[in-house]
Amino acid sequence: MKPHNKYDLVVVGGGHAGVEASLAAVNLGLKTLLVSMDEKSVGRTSCNPAIGGLAKGQMVKEVDVLGGVMGFFADQCTLQSKTLNKSKGRSVWSPRSQIDKLKYESVVQEYIKNSSLRVLGGEVVSVDIKNNTICGVFLRDNTKIPCSSVVLTCGTFLNGLIHIGEEQIKAGRYGEERSEGITECLISLGFSSGRLKTGTPPRIKKNTVDWGVGEAGYGDKNPKPLSYRTARFNPKDEPCYSFRTNEKTHSLILENLSSSAMYSGNVKSTGPRYCPSIEDKVYKFSKNPSHVLQLEPEWSNSEQIYVNGFSTSLSEDVQLKCLQTVKGLENVEFIRPGYAIEYDFFFPSQLKNTLESKEINGLFLAGQINGTSGYEEASAQGLLAGINSSMYVKNKNPLILKRSDAYMGVLIDDLILKDTNEPYRMFTSRAEYRLQLRSSNADQRLLQYSEDFNLLNKKTIDTLAKKIQHTKDVVDLLEKTSIKPKQINKTLKKMGESSIKESIKISSLIKRPTFFIKNVEQKILNVPKTITQNNFIDEIMFEAETIIKYSGYINRQQDEIDKIAVYEEKIIPNNFDYDIIKSLSNESREKFKKIRPQTIGQAGRIDGIRPSDISILLVYLKRSFHVKQKK
Amino acid sequence: MPFVACSTPLGTSGIAVVRLSGKNSFDVFKKITKTNAKPVHAVSKKYKVYDKKGDVFDEIVATAYLSPKTYTGENMVEISCHGNPVIISKILEICCSYGCTLAEPGEFTKTAFLNGKLDISEAEAVSDIIHAKSVEGVKLGIKNLGGGVSKRIKKIKASILSCLANIEFNLDISEEDLQPNLVKDSLSLVKRVHKKIEYIAKSFKSSSFLVSGASVVISGPPNAGKSTLFNRMVGSNRAIVTEIPGTTRDVVEKDILIDSIPINLKDTAGIRDSKDPVEKVGIKKSKEELVVADVVICLEEKPKKPKKNHIYVFNKIDLGPPSGEYDISISAKNGKNVEGLNKKISSALAVSKSGTEAQITTLRQLHLVLKAKKSLENARKHLSTDLSLELVAEELSQTISFLDMLTEKTTKDDVLDVVFSSFCVGK
Ligand SMILES: Nc1nc2c(ncn2[C@@H]2O[C@H](COP(=O)(O)OP(=O)(O)O)[C@@H](O)[C@H]2O)c(=O)[nH]1
Ligand SMILES: [Mg+2]
Repeated sequence: MKPHNKYDLVVVGGGHAGVEASLAAVNLGLKTLLVSMDEKSVGRTSCNPAIGGLAKGQMVKEVDVLGGVMGFFADQCTLQSKTLNKSKGRSVWSPRSQIDKLKYESVVQEYIKNSSLRVLGGEVVSVDIKNNTICGVFLRDNTKIPCSSVVLTCGTFLNGLIHIGEEQIKAGRYGEERSEGITECLISLGFSSGRLKTGTPPRIKKNTVDWGVGEAGYGDKNPKPLSYRTARFNPKDEPCYSFRTNEKTHSLILENLSSSAMYSGNVKSTGPRYCPSIEDKVYKFSKNPSHVLQLEPEWSNSEQIYVNGFSTSLSEDVQLKCLQTVKGLENVEFIRPGYAIEYDFFFPSQLKNTLESKEINGLFLAGQINGTSGYEEASAQGLLAGINSSMYVKNKNPLILKRSDAYMGVLIDDLILKDTNEPYRMFTSRAEYRLQLRSSNADQRLLQYSEDFNLLNKKTIDTLAKKIQHTKDVVDLLEKTSIKPKQINKTLKKMGESSIKESIKISSLIKRPTFFIKNVEQKILNVPKTITQNNFIDEIMFEAETIIKYSGYINRQQDEIDKIAVYEEKIIPNNFDYDIIKSLSNESREKFKKIRPQTIGQAGRIDGIRPSDISILLVYLKRSFHVKQKK
Repeated sequence: MPFVACSTPLGTSGIAVVRLSGKNSFDVFKKITKTNAKPVHAVSKKYKVYDKKGDVFDEIVATAYLSPKTYTGENMVEISCHGNPVIISKILEICCSYGCTLAEPGEFTKTAFLNGKLDISEAEAVSDIIHAKSVEGVKLGIKNLGGGVSKRIKKIKASILSCLANIEFNLDISEEDLQPNLVKDSLSLVKRVHKKIEYIAKSFKSSSFLVSGASVVISGPPNAGKSTLFNRMVGSNRAIVTEIPGTTRDVVEKDILIDSIPINLKDTAGIRDSKDPVEKVGIKKSKEELVVADVVICLEEKPKKPKKNHIYVFNKIDLGPPSGEYDISISAKNGKNVEGLNKKISSALAVSKSGTEAQITTLRQLHLVLKAKKSLENARKHLSTDLSLELVAEELSQTISFLDMLTEKTTKDDVLDVVFSSFCVGK
């Protein structure tokens, strides 16, 4: 075989993280190779046929503004689109799309074909290191591919082990070979790894379901795309159907609990508490008389149906028998059973906030290999790893998102500062600045980075910059324009709101919880034509209204953010010797030594660290800095 | 916002130094002294300090230091005031009422370092001091925070946490509509917890007298010498606040210090049967004062069943010895044994001080409890008006983080832990 040319970047794995990483790098001009064990599986969505959802939808929007592809691709194969949580506050509104999984795969592969990304079918088994720096990867057949940087996105493939009841199958996903070698290679380089578990429910045959029993759920009437780059969005509205388990199902599960790999002790690693198997739900929450099962089509007119809510590692025959107790599923047949899978991951505290290893220069890890779960979490990491490996190769400053910038910032910060013992999934409550991290303002939060790092084409940047400027203009208008009692009191009375006695700014009316811009006559507000003609006018008005409604809280949070900002810039050298600080408590010292925070800000967010530890650290940093300078 | 702390150890007499540091230090200083002059670097001047009601509280000497030539590198004000802990606490409190935060242990030093102001050779010594202070602070905190309060606060935190977890489940995991009773249940829990926090906040006042001062009332029949004694006590003790005038025959009161305890001393109208409607009002007021008083100086013979917080005083000893039983004999006119009466008052207050089981004793603790209370009130407002659950969650998290500073830290994971253990999550 003829020797490979040197690449700037080799991405290992073609899941959501790998696709984002490699396309981001290509976009930034890197000569990039994507190595996947099976070329045809690039872009495969291995679990549920949906993208977005609570907290995840916000992340998809962020990825989109930073030039990522997940939302853009999903928009091209949407089966149903819906904003979740609409009855709750605006900061927790989250978009989600049911997607056609087959189409998604082909959209991804088609896009790659038209890009300069090279794809190679093969298995990377180790990395080549010189002077603690990446210089290549080795394939199973011992060929070496020289490269300057590597992004590992191996998903659940590293020593993957599938459990279906007693049965154990070595695999990365159902029907796909697992990957061996990388774990052992990284361990020999000093990395520490752990094992996690996740699961997926059975897939059933569409024509074996009595659909009349299920309750149909549709998407939004006026659906919005996930990506700002999607020009036309006219998705179908294919319904999902919900069915319910019953007492018969539950008692059958409890009787057969011993057949579950999780309960028999075959699965030793921890699974996610937020995505419990059906046996977990029945066992731990025995009071619930019934659980919802959501039957989702995997593609358009799909014969294959995903049984959301029935993740399990019960043996195949028990799974089937249990499912058949559900009304409407009496005659159900499997395409394949549900299963649990155990896989290796690496404790992400071994990474910097760029997702680069603290030890090996040029080695980046992203996705489930870092102990996360979920397409969106993977995509977010892949994108950052792709951007930052590019910055590494070009010897430029990396892209680091703060917790106050994005869920993506929260994600990375959480990952590197605490060692997860269950797959990490994003929740809105993980973000202390949740009120600021809305799906509707991802562009306001992140566009500057896209400009600075050149992540979007000029046209998109200009469009979004204009949208942001117009939003600000409307906010100004609302804050400046007064409204007289006689102009609004009639409306207020009709709404059951208290009337106003003298002229006030429209913004103070908007701050009332149940008063909205639409309640003000257009001629009073008088939004200039340049703004009303913006294609995003609905979003602009909505966002301006939101900014005003939340302003009290946003200002308070901004004060907090400003107060701690200085600590994010205080760098702690990687080789900082914590042993010289005698006044640190032993517990804090051990934590610092283990996690090796990069900044004072990070140090303060480690569990159990006290403010006084931070003060002491600051004092010593200053000192060692000066000592170095004197030398 | 600037931070403020007393940089001389509490309890030592003489002069104490309270320091403010931060960009807006001068703004706060202008407010507490009601001055508008431009601060001049390193020039000391005499000022009066006003409390929020606008009353003069104390006279001080203050020096402004303009950034960057200051200890911390920020704008600073050094206030020299009387070394009495009560006065110091009150000045800190007034500063906080204008938005200052109380400095964490080592915060001045930390800020100085951040702004590159400290000599590097001092680093080790300084960090030892920070460590020692925080250890001392922790010890003091535990000692000061009565076991009863600490337990109470932990319970309160657990209640708020469960409420927050309920709300987070609905916001964060459940894609369905809200649970039917969520708002109602949360509201009733918030109200319950609010009462408990209020109780704790009050324990500060009732137990330490540091903020509002103790209420001491002089009572007795007309002509017993109440007003004479009042004037005597006010005259021989340093008055902190000017007289608050009442109407004729109303209660006359003044703030004085006895043994470092701020005391609100009240002279009352004599209590007797009267037909005069104006005097009647005065007598009614006197009776009310007696009910809320911490200590009553009663110029009467000790009854068979003496009241706990009463000191029975025989006056006019210069005219002849008492017949009957009294706690103490004095002469209001010539001052004989009034000092002895003072001692009795301060020890009577000390007794009632340790009597309450739940108490917070430092200003910092009170500050945090009050902030927690305020956040709870905001949460209650949202729950009962606009139903914005995300804002309720925000306020409840705030409440917890204030209480965390009194006990131990709650993390976001703690919230999720409760969610996962209470709800069947995932479809
Ligand atoms: N000899 C003597 N006379 C006193 C003493 N205290 C008060 N008096 C007199 O008793 C009278 C009534 O005093 P006052 O303070 O007005 O009594 P009140 O009605 O209880 O407020 C006045 O003439 C005082 O001078 C004392 O200790 N010795
Ligand atoms: Mg009198």
